[in-house]
Amino acid sequence: MRIKTLWLLLAMLVASLALVAAGCGGDDDDGGDAAGTGATQEEEGGAEAAEQVITVNWGTEPPSLDPGLASDTTSSNILQNIMDPLVKLDDDLNPVANLAESWEVSEDGKTVTLTLREDGQWTNGDPVTAEDYEWSWKRTISPELAADYAYQFYGIEGAQEYNGCESNCAAMADKVGVNAVDDRTLEITLTTPQPWFIQQLAHHSFLAVHRPTVEQFKDKWTEAANIVTNGPFQLESWQHNSRIDLVKWDEWRDADSVKLTRVNGRMITDGTTAVQAFEAGEIDVTGGLPTEEIPRLKETEDYQQYPGLGTYYYGFNVDNITDVNQRRAMSLAIDRQSIIDNVAQADQLPATGFTPKGMPGFEELTPDSPWLPETADLEQAKTLMDQVQNPKKDITLLLNDSPGHREIAVAIQDAWKELGLSVTIKQQEWAQFLEFIGPPPDKSIDVFRLGWIGDYVDAMNFLELWTSDSGNNSTNFKNEEYDGLVEEARATEDNADRYAIYGQLEDILHGEDGQMPVMPIYWYTYVHLERPTVQDTYNLNLLDQIDLTKVVVTEE
Amino acid sequence: MTKFIVRRVFWTIPVILVVILLTFGLMRQIKGNPFRTSERAIPAEIQRNLDRKFGLDKPWYEQYARYVKNVATFDLGPSLVLRNRDVNDIVKEHFPRSLELGGLAFLFALVFGIPLGAVSALKANSWLDYAAMFFSNVGFAIPSFLVATLFIYFFVLQFDFGFPTSGWTGWESKVLPVVALGLAPMAAFARLVRGTMLETLQQDYIRTARAKGLRWRRVISLHVLRNSLIPVVTAAGPTLGFLITGSFVIEQIFAIPGVGRYYVTAVQARDYSVVMGLTVLLAVIVIVANLVVDILYGILDPRTRDVRT
Amino acid sequence: MVVDPTQATRRPVDTAAAPAHETAGAPIAQSNLWKDAWRRYLRNRAAVLAGSVFVLLVLYCAIWPFVSPYDPNEVDFALKNQGPNLEHPFGTDNFGRDLFTRTALGGRVSMGIGFGATLVILLIGVAYGSISGFVGGKLDNGMMRFLDTLYGLPYLPFAIIVTAIFGNVTFWTMVVALSIASWFTSARIVRGQVITLKENDYVRAAKAVGARWFRVLARHLLPNTLGVLIIAIFLELPGVILGEAILSFIGLGISPPDASWGQMAQEGRLVYRVAPHIIAVPSIAIATLILCANFIADGLRDALDPRTRET
Repeated sequence: MRIKTLWLLLAMLVASLALVAAGCGGDDDDGGDAAGTGATQEEEGGAEAAEQVITVNWGTEPPSLDPGLASDTTSSNILQNIMDPLVKLDDDLNPVANLAESWEVSEDGKTVTLTLREDGQWTNGDPVTAEDYEWSWKRTISPELAADYAYQFYGIEGAQEYNGCESNCAAMADKVGVNAVDDRTLEITLTTPQPWFIQQLAHHSFLAVHRPTVEQFKDKWTEAANIVTNGPFQLESWQHNSRIDLVKWDEWRDADSVKLTRVNGRMITDGTTAVQAFEAGEIDVTGGLPTEEIPRLKETEDYQQYPGLGTYYYGFNVDNITDVNQRRAMSLAIDRQSIIDNVAQADQLPATGFTPKGMPGFEELTPDSPWLPETADLEQAKTLMDQVQNPKKDITLLLNDSPGHREIAVAIQDAWKELGLSVTIKQQEWAQFLEFIGPPPDKSIDVFRLGWIGDYVDAMNFLELWTSDSGNNSTNFKNEEYDGLVEEARATEDNADRYAIYGQLEDILHGEDGQMPVMPIYWYTYVHLERPTVQDTYNLNLLDQIDLTKVVVTEE
Repeated sequence: MTKFIVRRVFWTIPVILVVILLTFGLMRQIKGNPFRTSERAIPAEIQRNLDRKFGLDKPWYEQYARYVKNVATFDLGPSLVLRNRDVNDIVKEHFPRSLELGGLAFLFALVFGIPLGAVSALKANSWLDYAAMFFSNVGFAIPSFLVATLFIYFFVLQFDFGFPTSGWTGWESKVLPVVALGLAPMAAFARLVRGTMLETLQQDYIRTARAKGLRWRRVISLHVLRNSLIPVVTAAGPTLGFLITGSFVIEQIFAIPGVGRYYVTAVQARDYSVVMGLTVLLAVIVIVANLVVDILYGILDPRTRDVRT
Repeated sequence: MVVDPTQATRRPVDTAAAPAHETAGAPIAQSNLWKDAWRRYLRNRAAVLAGSVFVLLVLYCAIWPFVSPYDPNEVDFALKNQGPNLEHPFGTDNFGRDLFTRTALGGRVSMGIGFGATLVILLIGVAYGSISGFVGGKLDNGMMRFLDTLYGLPYLPFAIIVTAIFGNVTFWTMVVALSIASWFTSARIVRGQVITLKENDYVRAAKAVGARWFRVLARHLLPNTLGVLIIAIFLELPGVILGEAILSFIGLGISPPDASWGQMAQEGRLVYRVAPHIIAVPSIAIATLILCANFIADGLRDALDPRTRET
């Protein structure tokens, strides 16, 4: 019997291949069909649907819904909607009054006084007061909580000292420059003038927590059964790693303006699975999309794309690739536009500088580098390469192993082959990768890939990466002039003056005489699938934030 | 028999201790910082606070001693990454789903695999046999991720059978992952039963039984099947252990919130306490599955009791 | 490896009916035994066909990359995601690279890892099992107790931890990861064989005339377990190959530019809606290899053990 069985098996394998090919090939023709059933030729701005409910994909399990401990996008997006931020950022990233109805900055720029609205309240009925903020922030700064994002507060007087205290901590807590003058007035003393501080308040670390709840339930206060919040939505249920459902809180101070009554949230980490769930109608909004699927999905009306405030870059270990001309040549050899069109695929912008487009003052920065062309300039690259005295021919390129990076690296490896460089791509999983790049980077590493997403809205957040003592500078690049200019910018309150300094900093990096410690590739975009009924309102700003209070579901 | 069982049960205690020591030792070899989750550097003050909070500033033997003590009191410690959760919570919430997934897939494999193999053997060399063996050989050879992908594509996206693509809620959501996971062991069971049954049917005592005029049906049920089940029982332990501890791929593709999905992320995030806790748990599953098999085996085949301690 | 439950039947082989005993004790008839086995194997047409396909597959993977007109790493986006056609029999991937060539390369990696890990598993098994079985007594008891302990290790979780320890997964790390928690069964089989053979007259005679123990082991015991070991290679292989595919699939595969079939399939899943051949080709390659291994193992078992014969 076996001979027959084996022939049958082989036949079936071939048949199954044909079947898969046919089945999926057919899909190309009716590609629009699946989308068509969800939403017909509806123009935007349709009438409001009777049922204001959406199902989203949060992506990963939020590691914590404690504003002090949360350190990732998912946690942040949920927190921003169940809590009431002091300020929000508008589409252009300017701060807008929210729970803080106004603020005042002193003459020397070092004292910020916030006035809270009087109608802020917690879901148990308690009012939201300035004391809540003082207590919450000091809790986050305290060494006992050991918060990852405690450094967000380091700009506040005494915060870093308290966070790093070994003894006498209680006394140091009192010296932290956060002071509730009365129920509605919060006074903050900064170490230096920080013009971006008001924008920074929009970060989730600066949200308040409800003291009695935290003290009663300790670590478990964020569970759905215990949590007390003060935002437009309430945490209805949290099934870990599976779903988080939010419901509108009708008592919220501005509840009338909130349309959504419920937001169901799944947690699907696998991109392909999320797309399948969307196509099967199980979710209305996906998280990010697998790169390889983007060309197909772009053709559907569900595809949405938003610019992001982030830079995808390759860093050089300047101790290994010592000649600036080699670094320039390597940058010139890369066809950024082709990488975007063929590999990254989400219409990212080819980066012409390290500070991404969209950053306030971007126009004045004019990060317009001769070494970062949109398409490859191989001729000039080869000329430059010929001038290099002792070129480093064997290049070790370090990546982390998340999807997408390898593909870009393969394209770059291919491009650098033209310069006579032989590139070894070394891929490591994230945690080891971070150990390898340091700083300082492992000696074996010549080039590494990384990205930087802004935490607050000032080019400082990007440019301070490349100072000599920066904890994020893995290039071994050290430049006194650069360090000095960063210090100067930190103390410069006037925007125009500061932007001018930022322009000089960009010049040191990528200008005519630029040192090229890093080679930006593109500026990020965020891509989603959204039902046409929630499009245009499910908006993200440049910081990848979702504001559910603005989402409206329209009729199909 | 009781003595045999008691001895085997007691034997699991040193086994678990060794597993803890091995996992602990291996985990310590992994480079990486559980607290640095993004490319952002962690200021020295914050790193120190974190190490102190989770006892990572202590020497390794102190950490090990403390860990064993905690495990003995069924406290697996706090997660280093999911800052508001204990490993105990994670086990309590996620493990039942993996258990259910693995258990259902195992049942599926038994319920369909054994009859498939038995029918094949009884109708050896018929078309039925060919079809069944064809099915089980292919079922065994195709990787589970391809099976799962094909299932979702054909049974959900192309033709709507009412199954969701992902999740673990109603029975509808469980059908596809269970079948995708259970297909390979089902195929293996079918082949196993067919092989041993064919062998048993050749044995003299079966022929004698037939010659003595025992009714054929009775012969099958009494002797043949019983004898053919012994290798199935032997295979069942490791299979069940593997199905429960090895469903990473299926959990990922179907977004099932079980421990498999957690395990991979925890290793990658260097969440030491979660990895330790889950490894110990998975080891216990494997040990218990083997234990049950040994005991069953002792019942089915008394000879083994004396030889195996 | 526990992926294949059928293999697990071999676990208590030292106590339950051990299939290969009857053939075991005749070292004098060695050459005849192998000739007989070979003849019996050739009579099994399914095994012959599987063997031929297997040899072809190995030759294709070994030779084609040298012959192929395409550079397997050459990126050309103009050619990306082409379905199978005359120029590219398996189509191209999302970089426009020829899949026929890349599948051959992937086969080298997959089979290399598969056979590498299998050999490591068997080597450790032979060393551990033969020492334990041959020396016997307290040492045997202790070693078997230890083995019982190791049986508690869950195989995939430990493989995952091992890949994390190395961080950068290479060919050898993968071999280590796949074999670290899966040699226990082979150790048991070898021990069972050795214990059975030890009671054999030839061995007793050799011991009686004062032959050194390692001579006895090398001359009489190991050659007689060879048949079982060859079968074991093909029984073990599917589990290892699938294990590698699973690790690759959850993102723990070996580093580029090499790509195993498992990794190719994982990449293919991302584009299966537009280019289904990219997941189908490596998956079918994996399936073919596993099928062949199964049929070859069946054939070898029948050939080397005349007691069990197909009806």
